[in-house]
Amino acid sequence: MSVAWAIFKKELRIYFVSPLAYVFLGVFLLLSGLFFYLGITMTGEASLRVMLGNLSIAFLFLLPLLTMRHFAEERRSGTLELMMTAPVPLWALLFGKWAATLALCLALLLGTLLFPGILLYYGDPDMGVVLTSYLGLLLVCGAFVSAGMFSSSLTDEPVAAGLLGVIILLPFWVAGSAADMVSADWLRRALRHLSFLTHIEPFSKGVVDTGALAWFALFTFGFLFLTWRSVESRRWR
Amino acid sequence: MISAQSLTKRFGSLTAVDAVSFEVGTGGVLGFIGPNGAGKTTTMRMLTGFLPASGGKAVVAGHDVFDEPMQVRRKVGYLPETPPLYRELSIGDYLRFVAEIRGIAARDRARRVGEVMEQVGLSGWERRIVGSLSKGYRQRVGLAQAIMHDPPVLILDEPTSGLDPAQVAGMRDFVRELANDRTVILSTHILSEVELLCPRVVMIAGGKKVADGTLDEVRHRATGGVRYRVELKGEPPDAIAPAVGALPQVDQVKPVPRPPGDGPHDPWDQGFRVLDVRAADDPRTAIARLATEQGWTLRGMERRVPGLEEAFLAIIGAEQ
Repeated sequence: MSVAWAIFKKELRIYFVSPLAYVFLGVFLLLSGLFFYLGITMTGEASLRVMLGNLSIAFLFLLPLLTMRHFAEERRSGTLELMMTAPVPLWALLFGKWAATLALCLALLLGTLLFPGILLYYGDPDMGVVLTSYLGLLLVCGAFVSAGMFSSSLTDEPVAAGLLGVIILLPFWVAGSAADMVSADWLRRALRHLSFLTHIEPFSKGVVDTGALAWFALFTFGFLFLTWRSVESRRWR
Repeated sequence: MISAQSLTKRFGSLTAVDAVSFEVGTGGVLGFIGPNGAGKTTTMRMLTGFLPASGGKAVVAGHDVFDEPMQVRRKVGYLPETPPLYRELSIGDYLRFVAEIRGIAARDRARRVGEVMEQVGLSGWERRIVGSLSKGYRQRVGLAQAIMHDPPVLILDEPTSGLDPAQVAGMRDFVRELANDRTVILSTHILSEVELLCPRVVMIAGGKKVADGTLDEVRHRATGGVRYRVELKGEPPDAIAPAVGALPQVDQVKPVPRPPGDGPHDPWDQGFRVLDVRAADDPRTAIARLATEQGWTLRGMERRVPGLEEAFLAIIGAEQ
């Protein structure tokens, strides 16, 4: 566990000593502000529904940029060799990296607390809904970070890993729109179930749905498992 | 301390390391030599457990690399060919991280990092960013990383590549000092390095072990030991080589032909015969006496201890 903690701290340090985290924070807050403004003016509701829904899609494109270096860069710079010859269990390496990026996401989300603050000042938002919405967004982050790590484990090229991450995640977004276009009932239901938007829907309404929780847990651990297999198997080649 | 038994590594249809076996006892430096692409790095990676072997086994510090990887990792310090560094971190942050994953207790960490930095000559460099360092300093940080947990086994892959001569000498002294109380395996293709540092060498070429022994043994076997180069002039010229060969001290005589080309080739142009004499006991007095008896002109006799370079080329040449 202490090794995972060491990895966690190291990863966070690398984020914050490079410009990446700050650029990311800037871009993210800019987008949030835009979505917040659009949400308020379009619906006239004192809610974060539009902002949070759009942010989850923004995460789909932006998070692979945060995860792309995890294995691609470590392999390229040879530091993976250090990790694999020091007494670091693979699970600790995976978990430390995953948790570090998730912590960065949490920091980004904390930055957007400004917007519910504004709502609270001028209106009367349902804070329970705000809370579950943020929980939903954090679950989305956990899932996407895990998928991004998997894409990073597949190649030595960080940029390729980033693009691959987006490509892996895209189906989980477009499946929802595709569902509306198919006529077969079973297929429509299956596609809907595949889309992460379906599963954050309850959270944005203030409901903590156990089915949705299970979906995100499955997604996250599924990709962490694939990452584990992928890192392990690449040593053999 | 280290035992490799028929270690084999295949990458698809390519056999990078082919049934390499060797044993290393406790203490001292083993030189692991071979041309580029011979399989040195692959073998070392198998010993550290980074690469699983396709066949054979390796036991390091009493633990099987495949069955007990974590125990082996705790006892081995490893410096890969490119030091495994995080460019973004400062030297201090990097080494504290290494100390932490190496399981050094929090209260001892600062002290140990300080010790190691002093040992490799990095004192006062704690805040420097790793990415801004020169090759020599990166190598030091890499070495600091490898010795952090005071491992009984150190595996260094080309530790002197890319260093300037002063740094090479420094690294050599340092490795020699480390080897006092631990086992060091060092790979290199710079042979002068090995001659100065390693009493024992294992040579591999094309993934196979081609020589294993003390430096003198390998040298001797490859080149037939000490040789003498003799320049003689006399009549009849063709009788010179057989007469020298007939001396009881001499094992073998080979006339060295005049090199081709138009350029001046001194001893030959002056009418001298140049002989390559192989002998177990020094034959020079006997040859001088023979020359006097026969009335030949003796211009020079030179004793030549073959370098590892020659042994290396002879062995590699014989392999191909």
